[in-house]
This record gives sequence, C-alpha cells and structure tokens, in this order.
Amino acid sequence: MALLEQVPKMIQLIHVSKHYDQRSALSDVSFEIGKGEFVLLMGPSGAGKSTLLRMLIGAEQPDEGQIFVHQKNVTMLRRSEIPYLRRKVGTVFQDFRLLPKKSVFDNVALPLLVQGISSADIRRKVTEVLRAVGVDHKRDQLPAGLSTGEQQRVCIARAIVNGPVVLLADEPTGNLDPALTSEIIELFKLINARGTTVVVATHDPLVMEQVNRRVLTLSQGTLLPERRVKG
Amino acid sequence: MWTNRATTMVAIVTTAFTLACVGVFLLLYVNLLAAAGWLQDDVKIMVYLEDRLASDSVADIEQQLRSDQAVASLLFISKEQALGEFKAQFPSESHLLEGLGQNPLPASFVVALSPPFHSPDAIYRWAERVRQVTGVSKVDYNQDWIDALAKVIHSIELVAIGIGVILSAAAVTIIANTIRLTLFARRDEIAILRLIGATTSFIHIPYLLEGAVLGALGSALSLVMLKFMYELFRQQMRATGRFAGLDNLIAFLSPSVCLALIVLGMGLGFAGSLVSIRRFGEAKA
Repeated sequence: MALLEQVPKMIQLIHVSKHYDQRSALSDVSFEIGKGEFVLLMGPSGAGKSTLLRMLIGAEQPDEGQIFVHQKNVTMLRRSEIPYLRRKVGTVFQDFRLLPKKSVFDNVALPLLVQGISSADIRRKVTEVLRAVGVDHKRDQLPAGLSTGEQQRVCIARAIVNGPVVLLADEPTGNLDPALTSEIIELFKLINARGTTVVVATHDPLVMEQVNRRVLTLSQGTLLPERRVKG
Repeated sequence: MWTNRATTMVAIVTTAFTLACVGVFLLLYVNLLAAAGWLQDDVKIMVYLEDRLASDSVADIEQQLRSDQAVASLLFISKEQALGEFKAQFPSESHLLEGLGQNPLPASFVVALSPPFHSPDAIYRWAERVRQVTGVSKVDYNQDWIDALAKVIHSIELVAIGIGVILSAAAVTIIANTIRLTLFARRDEIAILRLIGATTSFIHIPYLLEGAVLGALGSALSLVMLKFMYELFRQQMRATGRFAGLDNLIAFLSPSVCLALIVLGMGLGFAGSLVSIRRFGEAKA
C-alpha cells in the first residue's frame, strides 16, 4: 500500500453501497487502484463484481458513496458526459458482445467511428491492434466464423483500440478453456505492461494462479481483507 | 431502415393511407374554400341614390366610389334601366308602376368589393361609410347571407383542422411503432454503442432521420394515391355527363401545398421517432 500512495490514483471507491430492492449488492466498499496497476477482482457469482464494474463506467449509480475514475467523479457526471468517460475506459465482456453482422475490422473500428476519427487513422489503428492481439488474418470475417478465443481477442482489440487509460474485463475467460485462458491473461499482462490499468473481475481460480498481482475479493457485496497471490 | 423491410414497407403504406385521408380533407377544404370565395366574390352591394339627383352629383359619387380601394367593380343603373329591368323580370307586375305616373325606382350603383374587404365586418364598415355620402339614400346588401357564408367557411376550417390533427396523430403513432420495432431489433447493437462511448446524438440521429424519411415517403405516396383518386373522380364526373363543367372547376392541391404535405410527413415521422426514442431511452435508463 505504501507503493500505491506514490502513484496517481486511477480508480477510487469511497464507502460505496448499492441495493436492489431488499438485497445488498455492495456494502460500504472502499478501495483505490493506482495508475498502471493490474488488479484481480475475485468472488463467486453474485458477489457484486459486475455491479462494481458497471458503476465504474457509469452504467449504474451507487445508492451511497463516491466513485472516481481518472480523477472524474463518476457519481456526479451528467448523462451527456458518460460517453466521454467510456472512451477512456475499455470494457471486455464474457459474452464478447460483438456485432454479428459486422466484420472483425468493423467491430474493432466502432469505438473510433463513434469518436469521428478519420477513416485513414481508423485503418491504421485497427490494423495495429488486430496485429497486437493476433487476429489480423481474420479481419474480414464475421464473428460467427471465429473460435471463442478469437472472438475474445477481437473484443479485447475493440476495448483497447482507442488507447484507454483503464481496461475493465468482466469474466473474460468464462467461456474459454484453460489454454485459451492463459493466452488471454498473457494478453492482459501485455496491455498492462504498456501502462494501461487493468481490472479483471473473475471467479476463475486459474486466472488467479496465473496473475501474481493484487487481489480484491468481494463476498456478498462486502470487500474482504486484501491479499496478493503468487503465480 | 432496410433491415426490417416488411415493417418499413407496411409503415410507409399505412402512413400513406393516413396522410391520403388528410389529403382528401385538404382537397375538400381547398375546393370548398374556393367555392365559398366565388360566392363571396358574387356578393353585390346596392348603393341607391336620392331621387332627382343632378348628373354632376351622380358623377361625383361615381368618382368617389371608383377611387375607393375597397371597390373592385362598379356598375351604374339609371332610373330608366332599373324600370326596364323590373319590367323584364316581372312582366306580369309591370301594371303596378303604370298607375304611379312617374318612375319610382331609384338610380343605383352595383358595387363588388375587392377580396380583402369580403369579411362581414369589412362589408358592414364600408356600407356604413358610404351611407354617409351626400346623395346616397340607401346601401343594401344581404347581411344574413354574408354572415351565414362566413360561418360555413369557419366551420369547414375547424373540421379540417380537427380531422388533420387526429390523422396526424395517427401517422405519428404508426411511425413511432415502426421505429420502436427497429430499436427493439437493434437493442443489443445500441447497448454496445453506449458501452463503447457513443453519444446519445450519434445513436439517435440515424433513427430520427429514418422516421423523417419514412414520413416523407409515406407523404409522397399519399400524394400519388390522391392524384390518382382525383383524376378517377374527374373522369367519372365527365363520363356520367352530370355536373358538366364542374370537373374543370375542381382543383388539385397546388405544388406548394404538395411540398408542404411532404414536409409535414417528414415532421410527423421525425416526431414519431422522437416519441419512440424517448420511450426506449426511459426503458433503458
């Protein structure tokens, strides 16, 4: 934690709570993640991991507490400001969420397209990132023609194509076998090594084994004492 | 727009039928208004002169009336002409005047007012003013007829507006439902766009444009249908032989009204999209 105090904060939660009807999804959760960190958010299904990630991109609001991402108070953002936050925070999903009728290239180009980037720049950046994640040879194919590992790589490429400061991944290996899980984790490490803060929410022990990083554990919406695992 | 081709086509055709109904009423309204206008043009005001008025005074009054901007046309009827007309119109009653020894009918001017002075108020004010002119004995016109005509025109306007509003609301609902189906079919795509940082306008503009295009196409199709029905109606009138000449008097909507209808369709489509997007946005929030 002493190290963390020296690096700028990228994510900060201060006494965050969230309830759905009578059920508590998050209860008084506070933590900080520094710039360039790689953090695992562990916990069983229903522990509140997805709710927490959704709050970090302004898709949900906490009932209590404050959330800061890249020095912006997400809880105070106007609805019109949320898209600009999401352009700085890449998101990877367990179910990939690729557009089925668009090619790999078009799917990855989407975050640049919504920002009004020129088509020449889009071509250059998308080609670069497809090469980096190893699916450049599939650029013209539709997602349905790809393996699950390739689809996840495309999803990661889409999340990092506009150079986000934070990459959030919600159960990114949930649909992958152990070999593919290792490949995806290595990809995340590579992205993190380039300076992007990475937060991976998972309940997969295999992921924890492969990542020798900080672990935040949620259990029934409560944050358990922090630990560091050795891979 | 072409993702759900069947829905889009149904929306265009339904909008076209709805706007064609608006068009039918508009056509009726335009033609009834034109007919009412002819009737108003036909309103004549009789300005009777005092008996035995010197010809100089008659010329003065004529000059005064001719220089009046409200007067569109003027016709002088002398005492002799009035008597001649009376005898021609009522030959069996002409003996009534013979007993009087002299011609009791006054000389008069038959005045038609120009269109800006066709309202009942304007006619009344004009008549009151002319009544004060020296040498004028009486100003006569059919007040009841003019009032009734004004009421009819006002009623036509109200009915046309009422029907137009109801049918326009129907068109908005039809287009709103079509756009809602499109939004529903693309909800996953929209959710992904939101997550990767697309602004609300980036997501909404294509749907608003789609609504506007649907409305414009529906409106254009309704005009084609309307023109077809109009020609068919005229042909039928000619074929039956009744109402001879009337078919030439019935006018189609002018190009500017047609353009206005297309713009209206576009606006209704845009409004329909806006309604759907608002509801969709609220449902997602």
